[in-house]
Amino acid sequence: MLARALSGTVFGLDGVRVEVEADIADGLPGFHIVGLGDRALQEARERVKIAINNSGFQFPGRKVTINLAPAQLPKEGSGFDLAMAAAIVNAGEDRGLPADAAWLGELALDGTVRAIRGTLAIVAHLDRLGARRFYVPTANVAEARIATGAPVLGVNHLRDLKAHWEDGVPLGTGALTEAAAPPPPVPSVDLAEVHGQPYAKRALEVAAAGAHHLLLVGPPGAGKTLLARALPGILPPLNRPEAVEVTSIASCVGMLPAGAGLLEVPPFRAPHHTISPAALVGGGGAAPRPGEVTRAHRGVLFMDEITEFRRDALESLRQPLEEGRLAVVRSRGHAVLPGRFILVAAANPCPCGFAGDPRRLCECTPLERQRYRARLSGPIRDRIDLQVLVPRQPAGELLRANLNAEGSAAVRERVVGARRRQQERRPHGPLNGALTGPQLRRDAVLDAVGQALVETAAERLQLSGRAVHRVLRVARTIADLEECANIAQGHVAEALQYRESG
Amino acid sequence: MKAPTLTLPRQRGRGISVVALDNPDYPERLRQIHDPPARLYINGRLPSEPMIAIVGSRHATPYGRRTAHRLARDLSDAGVVVVSGLARGIDAAAHRGALEGKSPTVAVMATGLDRVYPPEHAELAQAIAVSGAVITEAENGTLPLPARFPVRNRIISGLSLGVVVVEAAQRSGALITARMAAEQGREVFCVPGSIENPLAIGGHQLIKDGATLVQTVEDVLDEFPDLARARARAQARVRAHTRARTRADSGPQEPELLAVWELLDWVEPRHHDDLAATMNLDIKEVSRRLTLLEMSGYIIGDCGAVTRCPRA
Repeated sequence: MLARALSGTVFGLDGVRVEVEADIADGLPGFHIVGLGDRALQEARERVKIAINNSGFQFPGRKVTINLAPAQLPKEGSGFDLAMAAAIVNAGEDRGLPADAAWLGELALDGTVRAIRGTLAIVAHLDRLGARRFYVPTANVAEARIATGAPVLGVNHLRDLKAHWEDGVPLGTGALTEAAAPPPPVPSVDLAEVHGQPYAKRALEVAAAGAHHLLLVGPPGAGKTLLARALPGILPPLNRPEAVEVTSIASCVGMLPAGAGLLEVPPFRAPHHTISPAALVGGGGAAPRPGEVTRAHRGVLFMDEITEFRRDALESLRQPLEEGRLAVVRSRGHAVLPGRFILVAAANPCPCGFAGDPRRLCECTPLERQRYRARLSGPIRDRIDLQVLVPRQPAGELLRANLNAEGSAAVRERVVGARRRQQERRPHGPLNGALTGPQLRRDAVLDAVGQALVETAAERLQLSGRAVHRVLRVARTIADLEECANIAQGHVAEALQYRESG
Repeated sequence: MKAPTLTLPRQRGRGISVVALDNPDYPERLRQIHDPPARLYINGRLPSEPMIAIVGSRHATPYGRRTAHRLARDLSDAGVVVVSGLARGIDAAAHRGALEGKSPTVAVMATGLDRVYPPEHAELAQAIAVSGAVITEAENGTLPLPARFPVRNRIISGLSLGVVVVEAAQRSGALITARMAAEQGREVFCVPGSIENPLAIGGHQLIKDGATLVQTVEDVLDEFPDLARARARAQARVRAHTRARTRADSGPQEPELLAVWELLDWVEPRHHDDLAATMNLDIKEVSRRLTLLEMSGYIIGDCGAVTRCPRA
């Protein structure tokens, strides 16, 4: 007796189709799983067997063999439990399962169906391959619906399936029966809550508008973290394809709250400085796993104390900073993971933190300062268009009522406008922060006075070619924020104030 | 004993040479101190013009480095050879300033000629040796041991008519040089700083003890009647500078730029946010004006903090 059930898993961030075949034959009673399953999968034998018995079904007292096809693909995780149970139960009853139905879910010992990771990616993939009905854990229904127009049936318990098959009771269509918490509100900081700091706030606005990377330099306690946290709130909301991408990534790494649907707020990730390169950009086990860079895709990657990060971790950022994605190669295969984010880096001005502070003398030697600065290598610095000094706030400033501070909503409106202008200019092309030299020559058209100012600045400040490009990219964004087609002198003048210190 | 003991192809000037105490090429003023070095290793050619030393802290402030640079350049233009110790901070600023002027400069090292310390000044040492000289009493291979630096300092003051201290903390190498200069009968000068700056304390003590306060190159040259010609050369330059300086000191012409400039300090940086709050101006406008001021040389900016730019 044989039954088949369609299921799937994720590899990297892509869905993969897996067919679960169950055979029940005469022989010594036993339960075998073949098809390159990992340890979690071998343990499925116990889960599935007990869950079946606890749900009013009878686990067959014969030789049960499960095959996971394609057999050469290494598989991991617990998402095949439901498919195995469905196949086994139906093989025993000799009842045909619909060939175009897909089954996803992990089983608890009592037969409850638990949420799994990567539902969105798997459902989207199976939908493309022609699956027309999806049985998924109730907590993953909202997510699965994003990826398919076909019926998505929430299975809360194996017992529900029994009632469905034997008595025709309809399956739940998504209402959460258990008390799954709704997605918590995003802990974003409104710009109006940040006291003072108009210069840094303006730099944030420019960074958001043109997707420029930003370096905040300032003594400890100046408010760099608060500023960085305010950035997602002034980014434009994600459009549908972007939101699907972000939601799918969150689902694959298990960051999607139970019951959550489409995530529309750009992600914010703040890895600690002890992070390994693999955790930062992806890698890890034998299969490619997305890292923080991918989790920050379409959002903000905040690296506080960037000079304290491991050197190899910092260097591993080069590819995502340059290409917006990265190739991860592991022993079980390779994957290209997306990683287009706005980098907000924060650093002290020098090891002791007091360089440039008028009240305290910096005690670092020039060599120490130079070494400290050199920890952020040239290729990384070249990608950071904006650099601002965030001064320590006097206590009086913090106590003063924030009367005319602009809120995030107003700033976001300008950012959205600037993004629109960039998209009109380059519908497929990069945003200003990623414009290359030749692209700049076309996009960054200067008026005569602006041109003269760029030349004077290059001469007086001894700007390298790359530094000039950085200034032009920023000036282009400032002009976009002010809805100007050409870059005027004022735009260049402001852009020059965000350059790297000499 | 007959000198020279060793010379490479002895073309007078370029290359490395060794000059012993009884060699006629040995600098006369240095010979007169009570413990002159037995021999000098010279890379380049030791100039015969009158010399004045500029010394100061390795952890100099931007103000100190600017001042040392300007004084050295003016001295060099006036025909005076600037002597210093090739260290970081003030020394390097003095050498670089002197290289911009018309006269050569001399660096006195504590290490052997084969080992430039600090290593990042290797190029600077090369540039100095092209027109002037890098000298030392130490054999090749001598390491930069702490004890060697005070000993080296007696050569700096010994070569010079006077020593200008730019920034020196209490108990610093620059103060040792100044004290040796006084013992050797050389003039001691000092550039004052802010009383809040720890690096000014040593120098201010020197002024209290009788050192000459220096604002311009003329204050130095005035002390040496023999340098009247140099002083005359410097005077013309200083006058021209003063004119430019007065113009720069009174700030830019444009009222909108002047309004910002008037709020700035010569020494202490002020932040953009601070200016925007004081002037009740939009931050974009503040940034724009600051760039324009910076491009016409009225201010110096450093990613968010600005000071007035002292011209010279």
